[in-house]
Amino acid sequence: MFMQANGFYDNLRVLQRRIPNGRALTPVIGVLALFVFWQVVTLLELYPAFIIPPPLAVFEKFVEVVQDGRLWLHTSTTVSQMLVGLGIGVSFGVVLGYCMAKWRILEDVLSPIVLAFQSTPVVAYAPLLVIWFGSGSTSKIVTSALIVFFPMLMNTIVALRNVPVHQRELIRSFGANGFETFFKLEIPASLPVLLSGLKVSATLAVIGAVVGEFIMAQAGLGFWIKLARDQYDTPLVWVGILTLAFIARVMYGLVALLERRLLVPSAQITPTPYGDGEARPPRRT
Amino acid sequence: MKFARLILFCALAALVVVGGAAAQDQQDLTFFLTFVPNIQFAPLYVAIDNGYFAEVGINVTIEHGDEPLGVDLIASGQRQFGMISGEQVISARAQARPVVFVYEWFQAYPVGIAVPVDSGITTVDGLRGHVVGIPGRFGASYSGLTALLSANGLTETDLQLEEIGFNAPEAICTGRVEAAVVYSNNEPLQIRNRAAAGDCGSVTDVVVIPVSDAADMVSNGIVTNADTIANDPDLVSSVVGAFDQGLRDTINNPAAAYLISTTYVENLPMSDALITYLITAADDQNAWLNDNPDATRADVAARRADLRAGLGEQFTADELVQFDVLLASIEFWDADQLGMSTLDSWQVTQDILSSMGFLPDAIDLEAAFTNDFVPVPTE
Repeated sequence: MFMQANGFYDNLRVLQRRIPNGRALTPVIGVLALFVFWQVVTLLELYPAFIIPPPLAVFEKFVEVVQDGRLWLHTSTTVSQMLVGLGIGVSFGVVLGYCMAKWRILEDVLSPIVLAFQSTPVVAYAPLLVIWFGSGSTSKIVTSALIVFFPMLMNTIVALRNVPVHQRELIRSFGANGFETFFKLEIPASLPVLLSGLKVSATLAVIGAVVGEFIMAQAGLGFWIKLARDQYDTPLVWVGILTLAFIARVMYGLVALLERRLLVPSAQITPTPYGDGEARPPRRT
Repeated sequence: MKFARLILFCALAALVVVGGAAAQDQQDLTFFLTFVPNIQFAPLYVAIDNGYFAEVGINVTIEHGDEPLGVDLIASGQRQFGMISGEQVISARAQARPVVFVYEWFQAYPVGIAVPVDSGITTVDGLRGHVVGIPGRFGASYSGLTALLSANGLTETDLQLEEIGFNAPEAICTGRVEAAVVYSNNEPLQIRNRAAAGDCGSVTDVVVIPVSDAADMVSNGIVTNADTIANDPDLVSSVVGAFDQGLRDTINNPAAAYLISTTYVENLPMSDALITYLITAADDQNAWLNDNPDATRADVAARRADLRAGLGEQFTADELVQFDVLLASIEFWDADQLGMSTLDSWQVTQDILSSMGFLPDAIDLEAAFTNDFVPVPTE
């Protein structure tokens, strides 16, 4: 019996050696389980195929749109708008957030407006943005930037407020001026919270671009999903949805990768919409 | 005394039982409509308010939503009835949705191209090379434009087509576009109102080139699913019959229909003076209809024109804009025989969708619609 148990653990160790990071496979297992569940639901015919199409029908549609180039056309449109919106939203959010963290009077003046806009769903004002900025890509970029802007702004304020007082006193005692404090203390100390905000923002940027495309567009995944719905092509709708999910996951993964490169593991924090996770000091201060 | 109390108790109990039974007899039904509550849905409001659904044991709740969503709800049996356009029925059936069109509400396709009068353009051919606005390359507007161009030997590339969303009045009044694809019963009225108020740039009026002159396409109507037709044809007849009566009442007495609609549509312009005027007009029209049971469509149309003229003398265009939408819509609903659609018009609609590349394969059109439930008036 004892020998058998030893054999089992030996086999596990061999498996561990073959799969260097077994944990990395768990998301794949989750996705596979989801597809199996999906297939079972379609086999049970709980809903007609035009409501929930079988995974194979979606895969066939995926192959079709990859081959005819439509997937690339609409994905590249959405991704380009999303990246520009993300860049603008993050830049403005960080800069204004820094100013608000530094000058209380500015925070007092702007906080009510910021909170009001942040709590307003983007779908409520997105049609107005299309009217103001036109039906082209500008309105999608602005929508994307706005949805990204608020979490980055809040995270920046929280990040700067979380810089430990004793570290500020220490760097001041060394005679550091404002620039030195900014580059050598505030930026490194804020990175964990800023990056967790960026994780949230990167996925939100996708939503922003797609909401704009849903309202009015000539290309992009949001437009494509809407068009597919109008044409009752449910497999195509699913291709669009899964592509969006994939883009959001890739964006999240890229920021996580950046985080791993910039921070020690102990300083990485789980993102929250408002960056209220507790920040720890980064490696280089 | 005790005996009297007993009688009273029994009477009350009987009332409760009968009332309860009556309530139980009412079948709850959610009717799907696109868009949002609007004066254009007046016939349904009238049918509900005048008790035509209740008379046949149906308790109707209205639900608004996106048209493809409504089609899927009806096709999957989660809803039984909705107001859906004919082209959506064709597209949906091409993708295996078992929906069936049972009553044509709009007898004429309500889309057209609005062109400022001052441009001098009065034909589709005259639009060649001009900037024409369109809500987007989807839906009834796009189908209508394609039909209009096709009937005149033109294609989309002969125009400079610009997507403007549902902002035709703004786009025309600011000169962003030289013409726009519009719903003929709505946007032209808004443009005219703005022009009359001097708020439409150099535009003084618009002419509308209607799609219906070029192609007889199927427009909006009542749609149900194949299961309901097979298993509960009486319900289909009841729903169609109730709506048909509401539509007739609206055509015959728009003042009454407008008053009823105010309880369903928020923010309909309604001053006390307008309410008083419409109540009097509605009563007069009812009396006239009673006195003239053999009145023709032309007679009724003349009464509507008189009503509008009388209103115009007392109220501003702004206050009457929604009433004008109702009157303009009635022109698209009215016909000698309400509710019927023809195979020819379904064929035209399918051909247009095919030419747009929206239809991979032709469908069996005869299965897409039926006139079997349309009430035929007894003379």
